[in-house]
Amino acid sequence: MKKSLLALFMAVILCLPLFVLAGCGSTTAVKDFAVPEEGFDTEKEVTITFYHTMGANLREVLDEYIVEFNKLYPNITVEHKQVGSYDDVRDQIKTEITVGNQPNIAYCYPDHVALYNLAKAVVPLDSLIASTAEVKRADGTTEVLGLTDEQKADFIKGYYDEGAQFGDGKMYSLPLSKSTEVLYYNKTFFEKNGLKVPTTWDEMEAVCKQIKEIDTDCVPLGYDSEANWFITMCEQYGSEYTSATGDHFLFNNQKNIDFVSRFRDWYQKGYVTTEELSGGYTSELFTMDASEKGNSYMCIGSSAGASYQKPTKDADGKYVFDVGITTIPQVDASNPKVISQGPSLCIFNKENSQEVMASWLFVEYLTTTPEFQADFSMKSGYVPVIKSAAEDPVYKSEFLELADGGDYIQALSVKVGLEQEAAYYTSPAFNGSSVARDQVGLLMQKCFTLRDGDVAAAIKKAFEDAIAECEYQAG
Amino acid sequence: MSELQNKTMQEKDLKKVSTHQKVGKILVKVLLYTFLMVMALIVIFPFYFMLISSVKTLPEYNRAVPTLWPEFIRLRNYVDAFNTGNLGQLFINTMIVGIVSTILSLVITVLSAFAFARLEFKGKNALFAALLGTMMIPGELFTITNYVTVTRFGWLESYTVLIVPFLVSVFYIYLLRQNFMQIPNELYLAAKVDGMSDIKYLWKVMIPLALPTLISITILKMMGAWNSYVWPRLVANEGEYQLITNGLRNAFTDAEGNTDIPVQMAAVAIVSAPLFLVFIFLRKYIMKGVSRSGIKG
Amino acid sequence: MVESKHKWKAWLYLAPAIILLIIFTVWPIINTVRMAFLEGYDSMDAAGGMQYSVSIENFTKVLQYKGFLTCLKNTMLLCVLTVPLSTILALLIAVCLNAIKPLQRLLQTIFFLPYVTNSIAIGMVFAAMFNMVMPTPNDPTSVGIINNVIEFFGGEPINWINAGSSYWANITVMVIYIVWNALPFKILVLLGGLQSINKQYYDAAKVDGTSRRRVFTRITVPLLSPMLTYVVITGFIGGFKEYSSIVGIFGEDMGPAGNSGSLNTMVGFIYEALQNSKVGRASAAALILFGIIFVVTMLNMYVSKKKTHY
Repeated sequence: MKKSLLALFMAVILCLPLFVLAGCGSTTAVKDFAVPEEGFDTEKEVTITFYHTMGANLREVLDEYIVEFNKLYPNITVEHKQVGSYDDVRDQIKTEITVGNQPNIAYCYPDHVALYNLAKAVVPLDSLIASTAEVKRADGTTEVLGLTDEQKADFIKGYYDEGAQFGDGKMYSLPLSKSTEVLYYNKTFFEKNGLKVPTTWDEMEAVCKQIKEIDTDCVPLGYDSEANWFITMCEQYGSEYTSATGDHFLFNNQKNIDFVSRFRDWYQKGYVTTEELSGGYTSELFTMDASEKGNSYMCIGSSAGASYQKPTKDADGKYVFDVGITTIPQVDASNPKVISQGPSLCIFNKENSQEVMASWLFVEYLTTTPEFQADFSMKSGYVPVIKSAAEDPVYKSEFLELADGGDYIQALSVKVGLEQEAAYYTSPAFNGSSVARDQVGLLMQKCFTLRDGDVAAAIKKAFEDAIAECEYQAG
Repeated sequence: MSELQNKTMQEKDLKKVSTHQKVGKILVKVLLYTFLMVMALIVIFPFYFMLISSVKTLPEYNRAVPTLWPEFIRLRNYVDAFNTGNLGQLFINTMIVGIVSTILSLVITVLSAFAFARLEFKGKNALFAALLGTMMIPGELFTITNYVTVTRFGWLESYTVLIVPFLVSVFYIYLLRQNFMQIPNELYLAAKVDGMSDIKYLWKVMIPLALPTLISITILKMMGAWNSYVWPRLVANEGEYQLITNGLRNAFTDAEGNTDIPVQMAAVAIVSAPLFLVFIFLRKYIMKGVSRSGIKG
Repeated sequence: MVESKHKWKAWLYLAPAIILLIIFTVWPIINTVRMAFLEGYDSMDAAGGMQYSVSIENFTKVLQYKGFLTCLKNTMLLCVLTVPLSTILALLIAVCLNAIKPLQRLLQTIFFLPYVTNSIAIGMVFAAMFNMVMPTPNDPTSVGIINNVIEFFGGEPINWINAGSSYWANITVMVIYIVWNALPFKILVLLGGLQSINKQYYDAAKVDGTSRRRVFTRITVPLLSPMLTYVVITGFIGGFKEYSSIVGIFGEDMGPAGNSGSLNTMVGFIYEALQNSKVGRASAAALILFGIIFVVTMLNMYVSKKKTHY
């Protein structure tokens, strides 16, 4: 029995390669989207799906505006779904694209778009933006399908241009809301001890040292995203990170090794920790009771996460400390660089052009409606992407001007975020840019935790490994 | 017979042994029991640790020198675990998947085993050998394509995707066929003469006779549903169809605030409980099934 | 035979099984081989209509890739450490269990308990036991229960699984957990084997005055060799597919914080490649894994055939 099994088995193995040649897919080229002659049909029912990462409070805002949107387009049903984190959205869509059941609209980062475009799955928006076809709304008004010149001009230019940075000159996404990284600090603690809020990394080191002398059991600084830290440092130093053309992965250079080694020392001295290394968002450490070991007095995290940095209230209902928010430390304070984050929206290819147009109408609605942009910003701490929302008097008087380190901490972070708009940078997006991002984050973690033996050599090797990993993953 | 022989022989030996040897024998027994007890303690300690941790308060758990018995029994951890982990839904999902897949799997297995054991048809032996051949190939090989297949079918995030791909187990068919073969063919022929249909014969004669094997299969299959991780993670990891293991691994890691290990341990205890209950009541069948299968899950 | 006129009936009974097997077993095998030999096959590209040429590039890429070699090394290491260790321990326990009368049932049940657990869930318990709570980096103030025991005996606490822990500390934890997990099945099979050994062999040995050790090596082990072969083979097969026990302890990062992937295994590698849509490489790795398991199983069978006494 055993022998015959083995023989059968070997036969199967030998035969299998024959099938290899049999299976070969056929090419289906994806063209630019062509707006059909007859335009958008407001009579036909159409359902579109939207993947995002919104928490419960933001979903409420979204639902509210879907109702408003449906007053204009009752034939469009918008189904939306929170798919975990940004990476989860990416992974989910990635697998769905391979079998063609991707959603219509999704939260996206430039990296993600580059990835989806391997499968030519994202609709270039140019023909839609340029379209002058008229659409009749249910309230009797008409609008053009595309963007009007006023609408285009209303976008904050830097954000709008991010949608067209994929090397082929085409526009693949519209910005929904933006954020950056900011430094949250325990204002009460800083004032009590006469500490100066750091503006450069040198000052940061000095402050950490001072804080460590005051409270030996604390970790003065928490930095949420290791990857952001690395990429921002490259930007601030002007050292190389990645390139969209030619050799993609350039981050193995002496300058980068130097700052990583420096921050590793900080970690080893207990000056700093990160999300992965502490095992949770560093905002937890920031809002932790100061009497507990391992709390921190500064935290660098997303400006859109301000609500998590809110300290607890004491028995009298007062916050146990006051939060200050400022720009993250710089290499050169006169030439600041901060990362531009926050979701954009992209639309996916579908057989049915009505679905694509319906998706476009919804994306257009969310990005160009000042009321939505303002509400969304107030609930989330994100910065609006259109001027008419950011400069709206009500938004200013009822939100921005109330900014403080307690109840209105979101307003404070939006305010700080808005002030730094000139300093926002973006990094190149290409097939493999998200791999590079993941890898430099892991690289930071790895180097920080190195302890024994020849650390300098180990860091050097870790950089080489990270490059090799990028080349493998992207190749 | 042989036992009796053995006994008398031992008695004879006993008379012969000197006191020196007697002491040696007792010493060996003591060593045996000590070794077994120590090993048993090691084996059982994680369970004990899980149980005491699950009723501790977080400060007590975090103490530098742990207490071996909780000072204050905090059953609220169980309530918290149930709520934050959304264990209720996970339980229901796992039960549904477990029960439905077990029933369907049994039907398919019984029919196939019957065909292989009792019916004659061309290519039977070749087919059976081919089936056994597939058992040697690691399941990881199937995952890749099955994932694409079920997505094409539009099954992602559904009960179907968790049930259908694993309905057929060649091993179960093999196990049951062996069992069916032991039932004398004369019974079948007699039933045929009486005009009994195949199905009726299966139901009235073969199934009752093979019941222990069927119970073993049922239990293994249920345990499989309870322990499965990789496939559900791939095809139903987000929403309402999540299974217990996947939910458990993620529920307490992404929560805001500190990872509350006592609550996590309570969740683990809740998840482990059903398997333990089943084990206590059906120990015999489980052990019998397992010793023949050599597979877990 | 009577059935011959009802041939279609047999096929009818077999139909559900065969249809499902064709879809979910046969086709996957064929397809895996196909994808493994398509150069750089990637499910994203493929969705975009990319054409691939036939080559063995996937295999060479995977085999030259350091990450894969790490996975291979981890998997082999865990196999080589855990299979003999758990087999010897299980054999000892089974022999001891077989030699006692009172408490045998109870102890047997206790030793079987780890089998009826969820490997991810109990992995979390082990992780908690080896956990070292570190409020500030490199400054353990509160240590897990295992470290308490070590300190009790005057040792230094070890960073087993947290950020900055050493590879060997991680491996030690994994070996302990995997052995713990593997014991019940092995004990069960071996004890079953022991109980079926004819008592007369032992009686004869006793009459001859053979020493206990000789009885064990000359009678017990040889007569138990079919069972031993069985647990070793299944142990190796299971060992090469190690995955969820590592997820249980370290989470899906497959390594301690700051060093993710350092404990990744072959199966982990396949799933990761799959998630990154590198399906061609995942397939190639799956075939390599299959090849290894096949060779090891054949080797085991060959060795045991030479050594097995029936």
